Amino acid sequence: MTPPELKAFFEPKSVVLVGASELSGEGAVSAAFFRSLAYNISKFKSGKVYGVDLSGKLEKYEKKLTKVPKGLDLAVVSLPKDLLKKNLSILLAKRTKALVLISGELEPKQKEELGNLAKKGKLLLLGPKATMGIINTGNGLVAAPYQALAPRQGNIAVISQDGGLAAAMLDWVCFHGVGISKFACVGDGLGVDAAELIRYLAQDKKTKVICVYLETVKEGRKLIGAISEATKTKPVVVLKGGSEDERIFEAALKQAKALQVQGIEEIFAVAEGLAKQPPMHGNRVAVITNVAGQARLLVKSLVKEGLVPAELSAETTKKILNKHPHVSILGFIDLGIGAKADLYKFVGEQLLSDKAVDGVVVVNAIKSTLLEPKDVREISAIAKKSKEKPVVDLAPGGEDNLHVREVLADTELPVYDQPEKAARVMKLLGMRGKILEKVERKI
Amino acid sequence: MSAAKKKVAEIISLARKEGRSELLELESKQVLAVWGLPVKRTELAKDPDEAVRLAREIRYPLVIKIASPDIPRRSEAKCVKVGVGSELELRQAFSEIVNNAREYKPDAKILGVTVQEYLPSSREVVVGALQDQSFGPTVWFGLLGFWVELLGDISFRLAPLSAEDAREMIQEVKGYPVLQGIRGEPSADVGALVDIIQKVGQLAHEFPDISKLNIDPIFAFEAGKGAVVANARVFLGGSK
Repeated sequence: MTPPELKAFFEPKSVVLVGASELSGEGAVSAAFFRSLAYNISKFKSGKVYGVDLSGKLEKYEKKLTKVPKGLDLAVVSLPKDLLKKNLSILLAKRTKALVLISGELEPKQKEELGNLAKKGKLLLLGPKATMGIINTGNGLVAAPYQALAPRQGNIAVISQDGGLAAAMLDWVCFHGVGISKFACVGDGLGVDAAELIRYLAQDKKTKVICVYLETVKEGRKLIGAISEATKTKPVVVLKGGSEDERIFEAALKQAKALQVQGIEEIFAVAEGLAKQPPMHGNRVAVITNVAGQARLLVKSLVKEGLVPAELSAETTKKILNKHPHVSILGFIDLGIGAKADLYKFVGEQLLSDKAVDGVVVVNAIKSTLLEPKDVREISAIAKKSKEKPVVDLAPGGEDNLHVREVLADTELPVYDQPEKAARVMKLLGMRGKILEKVERKI
Repeated sequence: MSAAKKKVAEIISLARKEGRSELLELESKQVLAVWGLPVKRTELAKDPDEAVRLAREIRYPLVIKIASPDIPRRSEAKCVKVGVGSELELRQAFSEIVNNAREYKPDAKILGVTVQEYLPSSREVVVGALQDQSFGPTVWFGLLGFWVELLGDISFRLAPLSAEDAREMIQEVKGYPVLQGIRGEPSADVGALVDIIQKVGQLAHEFPDISKLNIDPIFAFEAGKGAVVANARVFLGGSK
């Protein structure tokens, strides 16, 4: 199947932003959104930008829609119901290729008209109520109504059916420095829906992992078809909200090989792991640590997730102990509180070349040890070299984790603050590994 | 259209012509048998003599049930006899069941009784299909008894489904160890169940007007000895 042509949304050569900057009462939300949008869109340098402020206040903005040229790629609209009703037909007459309706309820008649245009392929429509808009970090397009929003560039794509959840997810990725490729808030899905976005992102070279928040689904088969197709080449991580009996929905997601998670924190923990590390083929996980307690908690979590602490081969054990006799190998590999980067690296390399190990978790305790965050950066080199087996980092705690996160930010080693999270990520890396093995067998 | 598909369509259209939204037991089983599922041999006997003649072919012990489109809850109507062991018992069971049926519902249309072989004890599972509003044809699986009724221990998959999906469905239920065999019991024939689930999925996929299908129970024998459909109900939806 060819992917839907959604280029006008994400890579527009011309954009028009339409709103009214000074509204009070019912339309005030649209006005506030519009002002933030104007700020964010002003940073977009990869195409021509036009602006229309129906309140006539914003500098360099036209007062009327009629002044805007025809045939632009993308229109981003934040208007309340009554103003939208008055201006929508003018906007449509401009034959804009794609329309993002950030706010604004539609009249039933307008809804029908827009729906028909979208169905006939004459208009790419996102929304209405695509409250959090659309983002492409690759070209600096941030059409989201959230002042000075600047997510890091990365390879995780995010789609949300719900505006509030979309905002929370964006907030999360910005605060924690998670790199994203593209973002879209689906809203009512009158035109483009989650399924089409997934199909587009499945082909998107900048995207390695697709994260989706889903609620209600009208065309279940279409969605499941899109996910099944996408998961053949990249992981799709789904967070599901909703109230009705979801067992069929969840079974269908499983059948489509989506990875299901339970919350925002988990979706990005897993997505970062999948984006930065190869999937795991097997369930034997080795743990290297400089403190025993954290490693014990981690091993407990790994076992709870159905994983097995790796039993090193005699050869690996001998190699490590010959050179470093003080290292303890008993369920996990304890390097001792004096361990620095070189010891971590040496042991890590031995583990990754051991056939009895499928993946590695590196535990870095900082405060009670001689290890420093900059050592952890050196350790990340082993994760970069490992193409077949995943390596993740556990830097437990609050401040310590923050420091380690900082030094690892631009590396390929994902870092977690809790053993449960690191274990969960290993589990899902293993699930992804199994899925890929099945895909390969079918090919 | 394949011969099987044609035959199923015929059975459905006959029921529709007669204004029924549920197939008779014999029809339901016929649909499944035509579709390649192993179905317990079930024959209709219009009178005691015919029942006796069929019993000689099927062999005792037998299960005897009323055959009436108006009595779907046959146990409640005391219209089922299990373990009928001889000709004498069979003749008694025939008249008793028919009398009970008349008492239960005097105006019920009675076609006779169904005569089936009585199978040895085995693990019992249920397989069903439904048409979900958003996801279309869907199959489900569970272990009969409190697993399904009390714990709601059921797994789902969209149809049609691969053998691997069907196997996952079976392994996914909490009661799966029962099929693997507990306390030294041999494992049940999971492969035979996989086959049944897949075929039910294909049936639900090809016949959207089957709104609901319950196979309850399926007897799952020891590994290598197969499984057999003991009872099934097929419901028709919409008006096509």
